[in-house]
Amino acid sequence: MALNRKIAYIDLTTGDIETKPIPLEVRKKFLGGRGLDAYLLLNHTEKGCDPLGPGNALIISGGILTATCASATARTHVMAKSPLTNMLGSANMGGFFAPELAWAGFHHLVIKGKAEKPVYIWIHNGEIEIRDAGHLWGKTTTDTQWAIREELGDEDIKSAVIGPAGENLVTFANVMTGIKNSAGRTGMGCVMGSKNLKAVAARGSMDIEIAHPVEALEHNKHFINQITSAKVNQTQGALGTPFIWGATNSWGGVRTRNFQYNQCENADDIEPERIDEICEETMGPYHMTGCFGCQVHCRAQYKVPSGPFAGKYDEGPEYTSLGAFGGEPDCKNAETVFAGNHLVNQFGVDNLEIGSIISWAMELYELGILTNKDTDGLELRFGNDEALLEMVERICFRKGWLGDTLADGGLPAAEKIGKNSFDYLVQVKGMNNLHSDERGTPALALNIATASRGSDHLRSRPAIDLYHLPEKVLRKIYSSPIPYDGPLSSEHTAYEGKPWQVYWQENCYMAVDCLGICKYHTVFLGATLPNFEDWPKVIYYNTGLEMTPEEIWEVAERCNNIERLFNLREGLERDDLKKGDTLSHRYFDEPCRRGAPDIIGATIDREKFTKMIDEFYEHHNWDKNGVPTAETLERLGLDKEPSHLI
Amino acid sequence: MEKVLMINHQKCTGCRLCELVCSVMHDGVSNPARSRIKVMKWESEGLYVPMSCQQCEDAPCMNVCPVKALSRDEDLGFVTVDYEVCIGCRSCVAVCPFGAMNYNIIDRKVFKCDLCGGDPQCVRFCEVKAVEYVNADRVSNYKKKDAAERLSAAQKEGAALQAAM
Amino acid sequence: MAIEKEQLSASESLRKTRTFGKVRCHNPSCMERIQPAPGANHAKCPTCGMEYRLFWVNSTLPRIRGPVWDVNRKIAQEKMARLEAAASKKNGKKGGK
Repeated sequence: MALNRKIAYIDLTTGDIETKPIPLEVRKKFLGGRGLDAYLLLNHTEKGCDPLGPGNALIISGGILTATCASATARTHVMAKSPLTNMLGSANMGGFFAPELAWAGFHHLVIKGKAEKPVYIWIHNGEIEIRDAGHLWGKTTTDTQWAIREELGDEDIKSAVIGPAGENLVTFANVMTGIKNSAGRTGMGCVMGSKNLKAVAARGSMDIEIAHPVEALEHNKHFINQITSAKVNQTQGALGTPFIWGATNSWGGVRTRNFQYNQCENADDIEPERIDEICEETMGPYHMTGCFGCQVHCRAQYKVPSGPFAGKYDEGPEYTSLGAFGGEPDCKNAETVFAGNHLVNQFGVDNLEIGSIISWAMELYELGILTNKDTDGLELRFGNDEALLEMVERICFRKGWLGDTLADGGLPAAEKIGKNSFDYLVQVKGMNNLHSDERGTPALALNIATASRGSDHLRSRPAIDLYHLPEKVLRKIYSSPIPYDGPLSSEHTAYEGKPWQVYWQENCYMAVDCLGICKYHTVFLGATLPNFEDWPKVIYYNTGLEMTPEEIWEVAERCNNIERLFNLREGLERDDLKKGDTLSHRYFDEPCRRGAPDIIGATIDREKFTKMIDEFYEHHNWDKNGVPTAETLERLGLDKEPSHLI
Repeated sequence: MEKVLMINHQKCTGCRLCELVCSVMHDGVSNPARSRIKVMKWESEGLYVPMSCQQCEDAPCMNVCPVKALSRDEDLGFVTVDYEVCIGCRSCVAVCPFGAMNYNIIDRKVFKCDLCGGDPQCVRFCEVKAVEYVNADRVSNYKKKDAAERLSAAQKEGAALQAAM
Repeated sequence: MAIEKEQLSASESLRKTRTFGKVRCHNPSCMERIQPAPGANHAKCPTCGMEYRLFWVNSTLPRIRGPVWDVNRKIAQEKMARLEAAASKKNGKKGGK
């Protein structure tokens, strides 16, 4: 069977390394990637473990399709208990790392313990070595990668690394690879830093068997056509993810000034077309680049056009860079976006979280909750570009009282700042939301409230809900592979039927993360992109594993339930404002004040929202508190967790 | 008419799908170490250049081979290795000015681009057309056209600038 | 494995519903399809009156670059004023009881 892949357990305290094949039984239950990682996390950590202690498990993986002849199998998944949320930590990045790890012999790494001194892990054609990283400590993300290549004498080494933010235990530090690919959410870089682990370097020339190579090759061509012919992916390929921010800003669905407004007016200088112009001016007409094996090429290349970092090469900026350094702090200067993007990439910190937390601090400063004494004299007002960039550095290096405070993340910072600062923090489960505004879109609000890693758009967002697709189109998508004949509404302002859409997307995205492919290759932004019915062939041709769409759905369900079990174990309670499936009061109390006519005045209706959560739980067959019923766990074979299959 | 691979590295996004499909097509496995085409990267500058065999007229690999294991395919014009004859001395690897003759440590064999028998998979899968399969005598024409377009665009820009002044 | 070769999946069958050369109005409950003149850099929604600036990804793929800000601002202010007036009227009634 083609599916002979390995997992390695690495203990940084003792230096012990154990490698094992991944049993077929485990593959059938969890496929790989995020799903299998969640199972490993639940099985290899103790309840209430310290996220920064040796007992936390850092799990790095590729999906079951990683490095096979399927489209865009570039994604690397990183999981651990999160130091930001104290619940499930999970982040996903593109680039070239996971495929290289696969050619080096491994699909999953479970890293526990804590090294005495800074180290990095070197994985090469089936062999694993823990090496000294004293000389790498303190280096930026890219310098670390180039230094490892030079030290080991191989330019093709791919590394997953942390920058200064991870070393300084900023709770929302990234794990990164390449110039800008970031496993950004939930502070996985902080966990790496806590283990004194600077990098995982991989290089391999081992074969990944393809079960049916001729068919896999032909089918891949067909699959790529389906993906690249989608209009949304053609736009991505031309403008990258900034186009999503631009489109969303156009109707008033972004956050500005820490959620005070939902549209950044006159933001022409940071519109995607302007960003694209600067990329073209600095890198030429062909300035889009892609992850491994992907033909969407949504990542732009640029050189910082002006300012203190002028001429520095970087990649991005993405939606979140526009949000973090443009929309949220209301800065609106392309130069600031490019510079901010460069800083977060170099320091290795989540641009989304840092942008949101600084904007929160800006609102607190303008309200007088933070004073000049707290900011060491920094005028931390909206629209102050210099202060924004200064704060990025202060947080990443924990400089000053405020930098150090914010580096701990929103919830601990709110406690330390006190007064009513918490009321202004727009978070779910301790993590800030994407720089988008969901007050006009109940389905999207339900998504962020219930996402397993805290407020997040990549867990279950039915983004196509905004396209007003005819009901029969919605039904075609959402009633397969599991029949559904309940309500579905083309109206984005409706509450009816939305819990099913969110539930369906939750399973869809879980499946994608288990396969190890990109969300631009499924029903995320485009309704005509592949999903459950399209995957059996890809899986079969590449791995030999026979699965029906219904079976893939069941794997996704199982894995989502495991994530739920983990979160419940770590204290999730439905209505807890800091650990529950809830939203900031601002969603219910403060109406949208800008945007297209029909978005103005929008809020989320508390009663209807509660009903949506009830329904959402019912679809899962969870009880009123969001706890999986015994029947559900038994049906999914999860009634004896932790079951230690691997 | 003989066709050749025409590479325009500016268009390359660096995704390395060509390397993947090359190894799947020839060896039935995924492994860039087996690929006949390889994208050379300067990651810190964002520069990607796909490199493959030029199927040289006066091919150094053919000339240097001590056992005459290399020959030219009569139909498609590419240089091919006869593994019955090859002794694995790697002289061809050493002499190739493009590094296009490869050697892999798995099979311990030299290997090179064979144009997939006339349907190069790297070309078929490259949607941005960084690698194309064209008649050998057309390459310079395409390049002329490209250069002419740039020249004309520059002239228009210059004229517009002058008009604005 | 029983893989039906020629049967289209749901997502594949939806491909023919794609439209080209059009944009959807960004006013979320309007969402009218607008067909701009080829290469046009400006469009007005015939249904709700919103005005947009356009960008062409390629010759058949226009996208809304953003609203015409003045028009957008005016509409937003008018709508907000109406909502506030309605709210104060409602509150006023409550106070009178």
